[in-house]
Amino acid sequence: MSAQVLTFGALNGVGIGMIYFILSVGLTMIFGLMQFVNFAHGAFYMVSAYAAFAVAQWTGSVLPALLISPLLAAIFALVSERVLLQRTYNLPHESQILITFALAILAQESMTMIFGTLGKNVPVPEVFSGVVILGGFVYPSYRLFVVGVAAAVAVSMWVAIERTRFGAVVRAAAENPEMVGLLGFDSRKVFMAAFAFGGALAGLAGALAAPLRGVEPLMGREALAIAFVVVILGGLGSFSGALLAALLIGITQSLMSMIWPGGAHLMIYGVMTVILAFRPAGLMGRA
Amino acid sequence: MTMEDLRFPNWITLAMGVTLVAMPWILPSLTLASEILVLATGALSCTLLLGSVGLLSFGQGLYFGLGAYVSAILIRDFAVGAMAATLAASVAGCLVAALAGLLIVRRQGVYFVMLTLAFAQMGFFLALAFPKLTGGENGFGNVTRTTVAFEQLPLSNPLLLYGFLALLCFGAFAFVQRIIASPFGSVLNAIRHNDSRAEALGYDVRRFKLAAITIAGGIAALSGAMNTLLLSFVPLSAIDVESSERLLIASLIGGVGSPLGAFIGAAVLSAMSDFLSPIWPRWSTIVAVLLIVTVLFLRDGLLGLGRILRRRPKDALNG
Repeated sequence: MSAQVLTFGALNGVGIGMIYFILSVGLTMIFGLMQFVNFAHGAFYMVSAYAAFAVAQWTGSVLPALLISPLLAAIFALVSERVLLQRTYNLPHESQILITFALAILAQESMTMIFGTLGKNVPVPEVFSGVVILGGFVYPSYRLFVVGVAAAVAVSMWVAIERTRFGAVVRAAAENPEMVGLLGFDSRKVFMAAFAFGGALAGLAGALAAPLRGVEPLMGREALAIAFVVVILGGLGSFSGALLAALLIGITQSLMSMIWPGGAHLMIYGVMTVILAFRPAGLMGRA
Repeated sequence: MTMEDLRFPNWITLAMGVTLVAMPWILPSLTLASEILVLATGALSCTLLLGSVGLLSFGQGLYFGLGAYVSAILIRDFAVGAMAATLAASVAGCLVAALAGLLIVRRQGVYFVMLTLAFAQMGFFLALAFPKLTGGENGFGNVTRTTVAFEQLPLSNPLLLYGFLALLCFGAFAFVQRIIASPFGSVLNAIRHNDSRAEALGYDVRRFKLAAITIAGGIAALSGAMNTLLLSFVPLSAIDVESSERLLIASLIGGVGSPLGAFIGAAVLSAMSDFLSPIWPRWSTIVAVLLIVTVLFLRDGLLGLGRILRRRPKDALNG
């Protein structure tokens, strides 16, 4: 295999990894903030991908979907939080997991009722349907766009959490919700905001992934498992851990799909197993 | 857990035996009765993990699928008898569960749950990546129903097949009851209530968890092998994440506090699947709602519902 093909595969892997990162970072953030395990995270991703499909059908363009779908996912997350999930904050983790799992089934069944069991294709936005020539490489410009969006998301998230007043309140609410409440902030609202934000991020990942992999009811399950691998390897609540793990499995998947397409997904879990065997606490070594 | 569960054999063992004998004559079809046996046995593995040690597993489908494939391959390609193939499948389930368990028990709480799901997903992609071994998406077909009891009883007879499956199911049921009633079961119970206190008492918590995971893997694999005997076929869906979820949901809906819950949950879920799926393919919606109701209001599942209804007002005040 030539170096050029290898580089191409690695670049593709960065694109996939970046989508995995956006997908997982919401999961890890919600856990870091509220110690809440969200098994419906994959459902946010799936619902948003379906929304992208519907928007593309309606308007004839996917580009507006990249804004509308995450918004819908955020609303879905917010409504779920108010109606159902906030009732489980005082329950053990196991109960939260089972309730969010049931929510994911409901979302999956609803999408199947509306759109049917068969997969749907979502076109790449026209603006990015071409290729970019990068010093001898021909690279699909949509994948480059995905990497750019993900990098922008990563940087702005870091700034928002580490450098703004809102971020300080969010971090404080995670540390000691009662104290933040006494200072006059409504920690309930902080949690709601975090849920909406996490949902929007999963939604963005779903909308970005839709043109690359199509849309089908089971994609939420698959995404959830991938987000778990990212979090298991990177550590719950760790921002940089998630980025590292997501890139690692994205590149693994992409390179493997050139060598052994049937085993590309298998190798994601293979890598996880090997890393766990040598580093039980994951890549960042805490937890 | 009630005092009843700390004795073995008890009246539940007897009632279970009677029910299994009566089922073919009560239920509308023998297939439904056999399906219940398979699902109940698989659900027992979740009951053992969650009800006894407090471990939530989203990955028992991995062992279910493994047991299904191992028994199918042995029966079709190596002409092994049904009993030996079932036994071998259970042993394989124990071995793989012990190996995966070694990696999984090192992480706790939420990580544990996520790892069980990740390993189940890995099993699915393994089956998909080696279609020559597993048949891939087409499934593994033409598994003949062999004979049991020194070639005296042909499993091609549906009633004999039911009897054989019922025997295996009852064996697993009694085994789990026996474990819960044993000193080993008491330690598992202590770990569920407070694992750091159990550790402080000198119990090696990880080893006990690993033992429970190993046994539960064997039981799930047994039910997978039973599924192969029933279907004469292993669909790829035997090893997918949904297979794990089915076993877990059955045990939860019935109630994980007692092995009886696994049976009740399996019966309810199989009956729903049988009656509802022709009418409404999206019947999982009802299951999801049932699951939410169970977790929020019926911590002990349908079994708990019976207890709540039987409870006297004085007990209700005490919790």
